[in-house]
This record gives sequence, structure tokens and C-alpha cells, in this order.
Amino acid sequence: MVRFLARRLLLAALTLFAVSVLTFLMFFALPRDPATAMCPKNCDAARLERVRDELGLNDAKAVQYLNYMKGIVAGRDLGSAQGGYCAAPCLGYSYVNGEPVTSTFTRVIPVTLSIVIPAALLWLATGIGLGTFSALHRGTVLDRMAIGFSLAGASSQLYFVGGVLLLVFVYHLRILPYPHYTSILDNPLAWAASLILPWCALAFLFSAVYARLSRAQMLETMSEDFVRTAVAKGLPRRTIVVRHALRAAITPLVTTAGLDVGATLGGTVITETTFGLRGLGRTAVDAVKDGDLPTIMGTVLIAATFIVVANVVVDVSYTLIDPRVRLR
Amino acid sequence: MRRRSAAIVALLTLVTGLGACVNNRKSGDDAGPDVDRKATGAIASDPRDSTGPAPEIPGASRGGTITVIRQNRIPHLDPQRVYSFVGLNASQLYARRLTTFKDDGQGHVTLVGDLAVTPGTDVNKDCKTWEFKIKDGVRYEDGTIITSRDIAYGIARSFDLALTGGPTYIQQWLADTPQFDTRFDFKSNKTALAPGLSTPDEKTLKLAFAKPHCDLPFATSLPATAPVPAAKDTGVDYDKQPVASGPYKITKNTAGVEITMERNANWDPATDAVRHQYPDRFVWSFGPDPITQTNRIIADSGADQTAVSWSGVHPSLMAKVVGDPALRSRTIQSPTPSHNTLTINNQRVTDLKVRQALNYAIDRDGLIKILGGETAGRPVTTLMPPATIGWKDYDAYPAGRNGNPDKARDLLGGKKPDLVLAVADSTFGQEVSIHLRANLEKAGFKITVKAVPADSFYDETKKKDNPWDLYLGSWAADWPSGASILPVLYDGRAIKDSGSNNGTSYLNAPALNAEFDRTLALPTEQQGAEWGRLDEKIMREYAPVVPLYVDVVFTLHGSKVGGVFVDSVFGSPTFVKAFVRK
Repeated sequence: MVRFLARRLLLAALTLFAVSVLTFLMFFALPRDPATAMCPKNCDAARLERVRDELGLNDAKAVQYLNYMKGIVAGRDLGSAQGGYCAAPCLGYSYVNGEPVTSTFTRVIPVTLSIVIPAALLWLATGIGLGTFSALHRGTVLDRMAIGFSLAGASSQLYFVGGVLLLVFVYHLRILPYPHYTSILDNPLAWAASLILPWCALAFLFSAVYARLSRAQMLETMSEDFVRTAVAKGLPRRTIVVRHALRAAITPLVTTAGLDVGATLGGTVITETTFGLRGLGRTAVDAVKDGDLPTIMGTVLIAATFIVVANVVVDVSYTLIDPRVRLR
Repeated sequence: MRRRSAAIVALLTLVTGLGACVNNRKSGDDAGPDVDRKATGAIASDPRDSTGPAPEIPGASRGGTITVIRQNRIPHLDPQRVYSFVGLNASQLYARRLTTFKDDGQGHVTLVGDLAVTPGTDVNKDCKTWEFKIKDGVRYEDGTIITSRDIAYGIARSFDLALTGGPTYIQQWLADTPQFDTRFDFKSNKTALAPGLSTPDEKTLKLAFAKPHCDLPFATSLPATAPVPAAKDTGVDYDKQPVASGPYKITKNTAGVEITMERNANWDPATDAVRHQYPDRFVWSFGPDPITQTNRIIADSGADQTAVSWSGVHPSLMAKVVGDPALRSRTIQSPTPSHNTLTINNQRVTDLKVRQALNYAIDRDGLIKILGGETAGRPVTTLMPPATIGWKDYDAYPAGRNGNPDKARDLLGGKKPDLVLAVADSTFGQEVSIHLRANLEKAGFKITVKAVPADSFYDETKKKDNPWDLYLGSWAADWPSGASILPVLYDGRAIKDSGSNNGTSYLNAPALNAEFDRTLALPTEQQGAEWGRLDEKIMREYAPVVPLYVDVVFTLHGSKVGGVFVDSVFGSPTFVKAFVRK
């Protein structure tokens, strides 16, 4: 297990390194001079050049990349125009936001985590619950209704579902406040009240895939020999379904869930925009719009990290779930 | 000056403004921009105009929280780095300056002393040496007295390249060069005074320029002259929480999300002729897009009853808002000083008759319909926007609201000039180009349209050798004086190979340049009327551009908000008189 983990983590590190080089090259491919963000309206060419010097933009590309990587590992001094010393992990300074990129992330990542993790738990519970329910009541009206519900979710768009939820619960019935992020540490009730609509919207959309998958897997598993043995042995229905059948069926669901959560953590842009929440996705899109290159680089690295980590977690979790899988 | 962001205001907000005062509308009139606005401006000569307290607002009461909702964050809070419309108006709450404008929101402005007792004394009557006396009883949020040294320190730190972003008038005038940062190194000696600046005592500030700058009292109305306590200057971090000198102080700043400003107990209303302190706090909330803002304010529920939408009504919801009589009392609609023209490249279009014909050919009404109607723009026929001090309304080429192609054709006398019209390749640019081309071809012109990438459009037109004859231009002056509009845009001596400061008309008429020099040398109080006269003279004798429209602001606020209006200087919502209704 340890060897497996070590190898996977090494691969992850190499992947992230490759991503960082590519994003850094992007820095120079975009036709946007970061110095103009510092000196926008009344800058003439001579002063602009001095601002570029101040920002270290006239150093060789390789030097700039090494400085950037050094910053991530050990921190570096950014100069007085960019807030002085920046502790590790230093992702640079955003001229547009006027703060170190790490500060921006410390603020927006909890928002994205607060949206995605509870929503993921909700969509997993809903999806697997609906799918299992359908599998056990196959062919009945309830089965059709459950599948119909999940199909409706799959064919909806989040900006539509979100908009309708806002219209009903916030503007008309007024039982929920307009979504506004409060940290769970400050006020758990306000945190939940603001985020319940995004959770429900995401769950409605995502649960469909899990419902279909788990229904298919359960149907297949329930017809396996070992399940028939368990029934013959007289085990209670619930034990058979949850402890035996579901556990066997869950592997593809774990894969899908891992990929979904990893990707969603990278940026639920539409959710955040629809509900007016400022998370990682919104920050990334705004950074692209504003040509805020340090923030763009930071968000790409963070998103890649989430996906890589999610993949490692998924691989490790296979061994815990399915004893037939051996880690090599 | 703010040309690019003025254009962005026109493109993105597309809002209409109605006078905030209900009594400005004629009876039986439909809600429309205050078409009868007669702008006036003056510089206060009586020191009593600069003393507080500001007159009580009828119906105002103390207390409550006003939330201002804006899509994008405020770029800078550091007063020496503020230069966006939102920053300029937000900073009025926490940063006082040497001078400021008393503004009734109807285009009537008076320049008064803010921290200074009067709007500046021209010591030798040559506009080269200016003296300001600082008022008694003006304090920071921690109770410390504000002295002339604090204001001198604020000006000195604006020379530091690490703290760029703000206006550069005073630095350039003191150093007598646009490369002002090379003349004074703030970083190496933070206790030194900037060149030309002196503080004979704690209450006196003196500025000495090599050349005359009669507009200095206007330039000091920008927050670049806000005081900064040297001991609390944290360099780039000062942007997060500058020390307040105004009625409100910044108590919480979650960058990009929310800023909270609360009452500053050490602000003395008796020293302030302009501001009030009715609400307990202001909360600036960033993130919601214009559609969300409009929907929330229309719904008017909970905290949104005391909210104001900064970004304005989204065009897709315009019809809904305009058509709902219940919303009328909650809309703010006002023309702004953001002025838009069809600029003519005077180096290439050298025949005066052709330029005059262009003026007759344009259908301004049709153009404003494309913008979004009267809630988006108001037609102008002058070079300066209304609300400029000394503005005179005239129409040198009366063509009616829809243009007069026949008159244009007569002027052309049978010729068919072949002109190139450059537009930004945005949706707006495309729509406008279709309209303008149709107008001009009806008058006998032959027009070729060239689309230029929107990102670089303005930079390209600012190149002296650009290959186009016509393009859209816009200008929003930093203060309502003709001196910051006419010579800046139409004095040929400012033309450079690129990044030209001479607008983009490239007009260069020596006789006119001499007129500019003459007018700039006049005492400030006399300049207003002269600029008004010069405006008309330029249009009649040179017709360097076709004036088109000024942007209009149209936005909504909650049912419990009062006293919010659009200022006449920058054309943005301002909160110096805001209050929460009980």
C-alpha cells in the first residue's frame, strides 16, 4: 500500500509539474501586458517600462519560471510593489485584485468546497438511493417515476433550475435569503440557508447519472449467485441490499463520483454565477476576463491538483471497497 | 483621462438616468431625462460656502444600512490610487480632499473647500503659486488632527511607481514633466516633500509650479489630495483599509466580496459643506451581475429594501422597469458627462465642407434607439457635455433629430467623398456602423467599414498614422471645466506619434491653439464662459467631430432608500446625501 501510494504521488507531482510549465508558457502567449493593469489610464511608454522593471517582467522567461516555482516551494520576495515577502506556497501577486493570489484562494476555495462537498453527498445519496429503489421495484410505477425524475434532472440546465429555485424560494415565497456566503465556522445556520438552493440544484442535475448507473449495477448484482445464497440463508433484506449487493455494485459509482467531484471542485462556474457566490470557478472566469495572469495560473494549478488528488483517492478507495482488487 | 472606461460605461451599463428630484418633471410628462437641464457651475468665492454643516435633507432620518450592489470590485481604496468612477464616488465617504464639489444632481456644481478653507488662493495671480489653508477641527478616524503635512505626504507618496493607478496631474505639474517619478524618489526618502510643495506651518500648504495651471483648484478635488498619516502608511497594503478622514471609516474589507463602512465618530459635520452621515453603515457587495441586481431590487425583499444597484438596469429588463409605474419612484435616471462623438481624422478629411456635411447627415435619434433609447443616451450638439461650467447649448448644424441628408448633399456640391469608418468588432460596434453607414450614404458619401479588434481599438485610433477617416470617440473629463476638455482634445500641439493626447481628431489649427493659450491664462472664474464661447467657435469654424450623445445612467434602488442621486461631475451614483427611510 505504501509503495503504491508513493508511486501514485510521484506520478501526481510529475503531472502537476507539466501543468505548471504549460500554464507558465500561457503567461507569455496571451497578448496582455500585466504592467498595464498597474498603470492603466495615464501611462506613457517610459513610465510603463519602469513599472515592468518594478514587477520583474523584464527578466528572462526561465528566470521568471524558476522564481515562480521557488515561490511555491519556499516563498519569495516580490518587491514592494507586490506586497513584499510572500510566504510559501506563493502563487504570485495579482495586479488586478491587488493582493497575493494565495489570499484570494484562501477566501474562495472554502466557498467552492462548501458548495460541492455537501452537494456531492446529496447527489450521491439521492442518486444511489433512487437507483437502488428503482432496481428493487423494477417495472412498477415507482420505478418509472424515479427514473423520470432523474431524467428530468439530467436534461435540465443549471442556470434554468437555479433560476427557478431562486424565483420560487427567494423572490416569491421569501422563505430563503438571497444566497450569500457565510463561513460554517461563523454561523452554520446561515451557511446552510444560503447554500441549500445550490445544493439542491446540483443534486437534481447530477443524481441522474448515479441513479441510472446504480440501478443498472444493482439489477446485475441482485441477480448474482451470491445474492441468491444470501437470500436462501435467510438474511434480512436490508443487509442483503446494503452490505452485500450495494458494496459490489459501487465500484463504477466511485470512479464516476471521484471524477465528478474532482472536476466540480475545479470550478462550478455556472452554479456560482447563477447564485451570485464567489468561488474558485467565478474567480477563474473573472481572471480570464481581466487578463489576470497570476490568478489564472493559480486556478489552473489548483484545479489540476484537485483532479489528480481525486484520482488517487479513488484508486485507494477501491482496495477498501473491493477485496478483489490488489494494489500493485 | 477616463476615455476607455467611459466607453465601457457606455457599452456595459447602457442605462438611462432620470433626475433624482421628482419636481424636475413637467406635469403630465412621461418619465424621461431632464431635458430642460441647464447646467451651471461656479467656484465659491465666499468662505461660508465651504463651511458646514450641509443643509438637512427633508425627510431624512438617521440609522439603517445601505447596501450598494456592484458586479465588479472597486479596484482601489487607497486615495492616491483611486481613478475609477466607483472609486471616486465611494472614496467621498471616507476620504476628504482639499476641494470638492457641492452638487445638486441637476447639473449645478460649485467648487468649495473641503479640507481647505477656500478652493485655493492664486498667490501672485499668475496661476503658478497656490496656497491652501487647512480648516480647524478636521480629524482622522482615530481623532488625530489632520495637518497640511499629511496632505503633503499623500501627494509625495503618489510619486511612487509602486502606488500607481491614480491621476497624475499634480505630480506632473509639480515636477514639470510627465516623467515625474524620475524627479522625486519617494521610496528612498519618505519624509521629504515633493518638488514645489511646501508646508510653512501645520495649517498651510503651498504648491509652486514652473508653468501656470489655473485648473489646480479642480485637480485638488480628486482624492489624490486626501491626507495620509505617515505612521500608518502600509504601502500597497494601504489599499485594504485606508485611514478615514470622511464621515465613514472602513471597518471590514473582504477583498472582492464586501466592504463595510461605518460611522466615523471623529468627523465633524460643522467642517463639511457637502456630506451627511445619516445611515449607520454602508455595505458594498460585489459579485451579482446586472440581471440579478435588477431582479433583487425589483423584488425589494429583506435587506434589498435598502439596496442600490450600481450596475444599472440590464437592457433585457429595461422594458419591464420602465413600464412599471410602481417602480418609478425607485428609479434614478440622469445624463452623465461621458461624451461620445463621431470623430473625424482631420489630417485626412481636410475639407471643412465635408466635415460640416458629416454633421448634417447623422441621425442621432436612430443612434440612441440602438443604444437602448432615452434610458441609455441623450443627444448633444456641443463639444462639451452639459454640466460643464460655462456650457452653452447651441446647434451649429441644425439637422433635426433625425439628420438632414439633403442639406449634407447640398454642402458636398455633387462630390461623393470616399471615407473609411473604423469600428470596434463588438456587437455594439457592428450595429452602430450599419446605422452610421446608412446615414452617410443617404447624404452622398461612399463609406467603407473596417472592423478593428475591440481590445486595441482605442490604442489604434490614438496612433497618428492610423488609416481611417472616421471612428467613434468618447471623453469623460476629470472635472467639469472646459480646460480639461477642449485644449486636451483639440490642441494640435499635443499630437504624438502614438498614445496621442489630442483626442483622436488630430486637429491642428495654430490660430485655435493660440486661443487655447489665451483662455488658459485667464483667471479661473472667467474661464467658464470663454470655454462655452470657444466650444461654439470650434464647431462653426472647424467642425472637427460630429458630437453624438452623452451616456445616461438608469438604475434602481430599494423602497427604503432616499437621497441617492447621480453626480454631475462623474455621472455615477453618489451617496453623500443618502439615507434610509423609516
